[in-house]
Amino acid sequence: MDDVQAIPVEAAAHAEPTGKRGGVLRAVWKFSKAKPLGAFGFVIIFFLFAMTLGMPKAEFGAPALPDRPFGFELGEPFMQRYGAEDLFVTEGGFVAQYESPSAEHWLGTDKSGRDIWARIVNGARRSLFVGIWALIVATILGSGIGVISGYFGSWLDIIFQRFMDALQSFPPLIALILIVTINPLGSGEQASLLMAACALGFVGVPSVQRITRGVVLSTREQQYVEAARVIGASDVRIMWGYILPNIMASIIVVFSTGIGVVILAEAALSFIVPDKLPTGTSWGFMLSESYSSLGDAPWPGVWSAAAISLAVLGFNLAGDALRDVLDPRLRAR
Amino acid sequence: MQQYIIRRILLNFLVLFLVATMVFAALRVDSDTVVSRRAGICFSGGGGADSEQQIEDCKAIARTELGLNGSIPTQYKDFLFDLAQLDLGYSSVGNKDPIIDEIKERAGPSIELGLLQIFVALVIALPIGVISAVKQDSPVDYLLRFISILFLGVPVFVLAVMVILLSSRYGEGTFFADWFGPQGSYSSLSDNPFDNLKIMFAPALLGGLGTGAIIMRFLRSQMLEVLRQDYVRTAWAKGLKERVVVIRHALKNALIPVLTIVGILLGSIVSGNVILEFIYRIPGIGQYVVFNIVQTPNFPAVQGVVIVVAMVLVFVNLIIDIAYGWLDPRIRYS
Repeated sequence: MDDVQAIPVEAAAHAEPTGKRGGVLRAVWKFSKAKPLGAFGFVIIFFLFAMTLGMPKAEFGAPALPDRPFGFELGEPFMQRYGAEDLFVTEGGFVAQYESPSAEHWLGTDKSGRDIWARIVNGARRSLFVGIWALIVATILGSGIGVISGYFGSWLDIIFQRFMDALQSFPPLIALILIVTINPLGSGEQASLLMAACALGFVGVPSVQRITRGVVLSTREQQYVEAARVIGASDVRIMWGYILPNIMASIIVVFSTGIGVVILAEAALSFIVPDKLPTGTSWGFMLSESYSSLGDAPWPGVWSAAAISLAVLGFNLAGDALRDVLDPRLRAR
Repeated sequence: MQQYIIRRILLNFLVLFLVATMVFAALRVDSDTVVSRRAGICFSGGGGADSEQQIEDCKAIARTELGLNGSIPTQYKDFLFDLAQLDLGYSSVGNKDPIIDEIKERAGPSIELGLLQIFVALVIALPIGVISAVKQDSPVDYLLRFISILFLGVPVFVLAVMVILLSSRYGEGTFFADWFGPQGSYSSLSDNPFDNLKIMFAPALLGGLGTGAIIMRFLRSQMLEVLRQDYVRTAWAKGLKERVVVIRHALKNALIPVLTIVGILLGSIVSGNVILEFIYRIPGIGQYVVFNIVQTPNFPAVQGVVIVVAMVLVFVNLIIDIAYGWLDPRIRYS
């Protein structure tokens, strides 16, 4: 199977008839006809992103999750209707605990009388941004290690690969619990959400680097790489200009599927060890909060479970379709 | 072949050494906080903290229990030295049992659950994968694939929570709640096989569905590839029955790569079910290690579990690779 050449992203994009007017729409239409499930996945992802949207504020600073994901501060999500921490009371003055869905509270209320829809919308921001940051860490580290290890080979490769094997021998969930409990960078205090995201990404490094290394190993022997070497291109230039474009397709696929995995892992972590993770609104917390009272009040549990499953499903479907389109080499693995 | 095995075994020991070093280093990052916490427990039991001296004593006890005596290099040397003799040390909580005994006791339920899950996964995935491949692009295929994607997307703990919800809200007293709902106290396979199977039933089924979906998708694509091979066409041309062609000729070869997945599952058998063990209260390795990291930091236990788990993983992988070469003579190791 190794002789199948990966199609670089650019080529795949040009293969669609984008030259004509309305080309993008037509490409989207063609894609959704060829991959209906993938298109469904993209719809879910699009909706997730829409949930996180809020009015950007003119406040800049280092990224901090969940409200300042990329340096600028986002206001309250447009879609939330109520604040995530707003407490509601019934007309009689009691806490509006465990209300069923109604026009006022679309998805009902939780134990403390908070609106579930608002909490789901706010939780989307956390899940999505943690996923994106984790994958940024994982792909940068992973593809860096994969390219260097695959390109130079010999003893460097052996050493890197043994380290990766060692990392991979840690059961991922146990490694995550260990990392968030120890909290290596902020002694004593609780880890920030950005740190948790980095930990989640770090755990994914071995599998990302394995994929990129595989692609590098097969492209390294290609004639055009040899030709570049003959005309005296430096190692850095060959890696950057000749090999990296080849792994872009794999990285895009890994990014999409990976976000699903991270969302799942974050939810699982906040389900098992809720007090070790940064506080805030999280689907995993909602599920673990409602877990003990599921029999009497199913709504918070049902909705948070649905949110987690849909998000994971969406990223899985989109990743699968992207893999088929962009990277035939990875198909069937 | 012999050379290959020897080289792999040596590399495995290198990997295990790295794992041991990493877990050792990770636990020492923030050991002071843990020592103070442990010291707190010590003098609250001893009736109030009067003097600095008492606190220091308590801290010294905590350090000894956690294996934190001496400088870091000395600790590291002792740790590796003990490890080389397969001595994982003693637990720092409870009865201070040897770690190796505690792990042995906990590994049983975990391995049982893992094997049951693999069994469920194979029983479900083999027929479905074959049918889906033989009837490629038919409505049956689409339906089966959609279901398998669904099980890939829905996290196993969400599935478990939903099942518990259904059984406790609507299934009170019925057969469903009996088998899927939360069970009472755990009883081991040797004590009471029936109760034990009843406890294992739900987590095995739920976990098996998830992995079954992965195996099914993999098997389907393998079958599609194999069914297009020349030798399968020859089998058809000879006039063999469909059942014989599909099962005896095609499936046999399509199964070899599936072994890889089963191998990965076997490798993580000891530790793969942290969440299900947590939800269904099965006293396995997952629950043990979560307890010993989060509730009461117990360094020797964490080190022991991580090393044992890694050991199982790398050597199962080696065995799988060897079995692979034996099953598929085209594969040559050099």
